Amino acid sequence: MSQKRSSYAVGTGLFIVFGFTALAYLATQTTSVANVHMGASYTIEANFANVGQLKERAPVKVAGVRVGQVQSITLAPGKEIAEVKLAIDKRYETIPVDSVASIFTSGLLGDQYVGIQYGNSKKDVADGGTLALTKPAQQLEEMLGKFFGAGGVADNLGGTYSVTANFTNVGSLSVGAPVKMAGVAIGSVQSVQADPVKLDARVTLAIDKRFNQIPDDSAAAVFTSGLIGTQYVAIQPGGSLDALKDGDEMILTQSAMQLEDLIGKFLVNGSPGDKTNAGTGKSSDTPAGKH
Amino acid sequence: MNARGRQEGNAVTQALAQIGLCGLFLLTLLAAVPRSFRYVRETIRQLWFVGAMSLTIIMVCGLFVGMVLMLQLYHVLSIFGGTSASGMVVALSVYRELGPVITALLFAGRAGTSITAEIGLMRATDQIDAMELMAVDPIAYVATPRFLAGVIAMPLLACVFCAMAIFGGHLVGVSWLGIDNGTFWSNMTAEVDVHTDIVNGVLFKSLAFGAVVSLIAVFQGFTTPPTSEGVAYATTRTVVASSIAILALDFVLTAFLM
Repeated sequence: MSQKRSSYAVGTGLFIVFGFTALAYLATQTTSVANVHMGASYTIEANFANVGQLKERAPVKVAGVRVGQVQSITLAPGKEIAEVKLAIDKRYETIPVDSVASIFTSGLLGDQYVGIQYGNSKKDVADGGTLALTKPAQQLEEMLGKFFGAGGVADNLGGTYSVTANFTNVGSLSVGAPVKMAGVAIGSVQSVQADPVKLDARVTLAIDKRFNQIPDDSAAAVFTSGLIGTQYVAIQPGGSLDALKDGDEMILTQSAMQLEDLIGKFLVNGSPGDKTNAGTGKSSDTPAGKH
Repeated sequence: MNARGRQEGNAVTQALAQIGLCGLFLLTLLAAVPRSFRYVRETIRQLWFVGAMSLTIIMVCGLFVGMVLMLQLYHVLSIFGGTSASGMVVALSVYRELGPVITALLFAGRAGTSITAEIGLMRATDQIDAMELMAVDPIAYVATPRFLAGVIAMPLLACVFCAMAIFGGHLVGVSWLGIDNGTFWSNMTAEVDVHTDIVNGVLFKSLAFGAVVSLIAVFQGFTTPPTSEGVAYATTRTVVASSIAILALDFVLTAFLM
């Protein structure tokens, strides 16, 4: 009986030890506690005009390799400058003083991290030193703002005239999307409708009256701003002497590029299945990229 | 403790009487805790039975829950290009919800039923009455040790479950789907907090679940009609009542702790 009892006791003891080991593992290895204990590191400072969404403990990378982490982010007293302290692993002690610290985003939607690009100086930054050269975080809003320029301004000016253009495919062009010439917004899309007779998309563009010198043989194309941006109508001026007037139709149009089509063309170029594609049938007999 | 007390009245009064009896039984159990210190060996034996013997099922289930969670999350998060966050999401969902809840459900099925069946059979074979004749308090000797063992074992089992789930997630995510090992851990350690996730999530919830499951199991065992049919019925009731209690309590606890 006592033999049996002691086996219970040992088993129970093992179970308790095992349970607490699991608890200790969870608490110390998978939580923020794990970040407190770091290998030997030294601290350098960098001042940024804008840190974006950079968080404490975000990685610090050189050439994409993690060399440390962000220790603290504080606002410099009385100034509009973020002071970022970086804890760098002791193994990577040789960072030139004229290196550039930038805030990057991993991928399109990923977390932000600090990237250090080495300079040419022979002197290395010391413990507690400062990296003078920094590049702030790119704000997506600012970037988009640059793309769109004064998008929508034409709406406010009152005086617009309408022209129509027929596209075989408008992609995801929506009402209100900007109309641009040479990259500058000159109007907006008033309506997108399916043409019941021609079986294509009829787009009405409202263009600012100030731009009344657009040649009537200009081409309208549906473009995308950036890789994931919204679509807009770009007007490429032609050479005619007559200008577009209210109610005119633009004859030359270029439909929206479907990313899938485009990639498809790259990938299957030269394969027999592509021959049905009008216009590219001939060139696809000789595979592209082969000499 | 009179099982025949709930034979009268309609369904509502019966249910209320059941809850009331259960609450009174909890008080009796707690009052018997000092007396049951004499039977600490019995508590250890029960801890071995409900805790150590449940390790296998808990570990295997934890492993698979972590693996399938990672698999699902990876495919959903890859739509948004956020696969690097999947380790963190596995950790958070396991710590806050799945770990304590699934452990408690398994615990109810593995340990709760056997407690009910054992005590029910003790009643059916008059062992409980025999103890009373021998001046051994059946509450302090039979009920409280099992209750205490359940309360102690559940948090430990939940910790083991969570650790295995993280291991399973790591196995699928890092070894199979190719998430970067450093990203996996750094994202996890950046978001998981000791207090809100480990203490409030895993420990507190599993402690509450352990108390509820053990209470229901012991109560059902003690109040079962002393027949073979009654024991079978009580065992079923333990699983049903425990499962409902766990999930309802989980919602309440989450609402309070969040």
